Amino acid sequence: MNIQEYIESGILEQYALGELDETQRADVERQAASYPEIRAELDEVEQALGAYGEAHALTPPPGMKERVLAGFQAAIQQDAEQTPKASSQEAVVRQMPAPTAETERAEIGSSWVSWSMAAAVALLIVSGAANLFLFNKWKQTETDLTVALNQQASYASTVQAVNKNLASRNQELSILRSEQFQTVALVGTPAAPDAKARVLYNPTTKAVYLDVRKLPAAPPGKQYQLWALDQGKPVDAGVLAAATAAGDSLQQMKDIASAQAFAMTVEDEGGSPNPTLSTMTVLGKMQ
Amino acid sequence: MSAIPPELPTPVSEELLVQRLRARDESAMTLFYEKYSAALYGVIFRIVKKEEIAEDVLQESLVKIWHSFYSYDASKGRLFTWVLNISRNLAIDKIRSRQYRVNSRTQPIEESAALRQAAEPSFRPEHIGLQEMTRQLNPEQRQIIDLLYFGGFTQSEVAEELNLPLGTVKTRARAAIKVLSKLIR
Repeated sequence: MNIQEYIESGILEQYALGELDETQRADVERQAASYPEIRAELDEVEQALGAYGEAHALTPPPGMKERVLAGFQAAIQQDAEQTPKASSQEAVVRQMPAPTAETERAEIGSSWVSWSMAAAVALLIVSGAANLFLFNKWKQTETDLTVALNQQASYASTVQAVNKNLASRNQELSILRSEQFQTVALVGTPAAPDAKARVLYNPTTKAVYLDVRKLPAAPPGKQYQLWALDQGKPVDAGVLAAATAAGDSLQQMKDIASAQAFAMTVEDEGGSPNPTLSTMTVLGKMQ
Repeated sequence: MSAIPPELPTPVSEELLVQRLRARDESAMTLFYEKYSAALYGVIFRIVKKEEIAEDVLQESLVKIWHSFYSYDASKGRLFTWVLNISRNLAIDKIRSRQYRVNSRTQPIEESAALRQAAEPSFRPEHIGLQEMTRQLNPEQRQIIDLLYFGGFTQSEVAEELNLPLGTVKTRARAAIKVLSKLIR
């Protein structure tokens, strides 16, 4: 077969425009399956015509969406039920406007009335069923919407929490990378030889951050407290939050005007005005 | 329930739609409507030329798409092409049906050539592609493509109608489709 001749015969256009009968369509599909050139040409024709159709898009009038979708639902519901009753109703409805011979008018009149009553009742039942069906659909949709909105709200709060977390991590990172901060390594005392932490101190802004590497868990009712030692005098630098003591994050402590060393003790919850030296856990001098 | 404003775009992908329709998910038809109704309605309306009939045909199209979805073969082409063909065929069946011809006897579809010239619609098509497409097609090509695509004419009927040899109609139709094809590439 001459592929080029086949393509130029116009049969692919006829196929795409829906002019061919079943046998001819099947033949074109067979040719397209056997010859990639024909397949490619057919795709091109279909896409071009599709684009031409799409270029004529019109927004349907308002209200049409609800009507069309409800009609669709009712139609597929009716098709699914396939009751013989439905088809006889349809016949009745179509017979209605077909009056015949005048001599039989009275008889036809009365049967017409009873037929129309029957048709009206049947239509009422169908309409009632459709209403019930649509009502259930609507309820279902409403539930789905609520679920979706709840999910959305929970995603939103998760994102918010993540963003907050990210912001604080970014801040920590900028402190850790900043050259303005001096690092003071705090090492464990004989009471807790494994303990390790460091203080980040900015002599210009006086800001103090604490970064715990390892600390024994504080006994119940107790809390770690950081002290700055200035000329041998302890200055309260604040108590450690649980997350800080666990090594989860940096904590900004109280600003310290001047210090030569930092130390941590274990105090009653809330901190103490004076350090209990016997509980000193870590200590480090500034370089 | 209709708290969602209709102008919000619903970017549902073709693959997802196909998946859900294949799973017989009736609610997918709402998404389907949002994605394709304007394109389908535009074509149907230009074929049947009456709003109420276009609405009926659109609804029939949804029912037919739903019932014959098993026969959609994604390897043979896009879902859009398939559904557009279904809608277009139903619309053409409608204008060829006896009842339609009886109802529009005062203005038979075959008689008024002006009716088929895709007269400028009173509302503007939203799609920007249309003007470009019609500018690129010469009037002869456009006349033929409109008769074939929106008029429901076969190529032989067009030849008869325009008093042209069938070969000329085929050549012009092919040329018109080539022009369109270049535009979308």
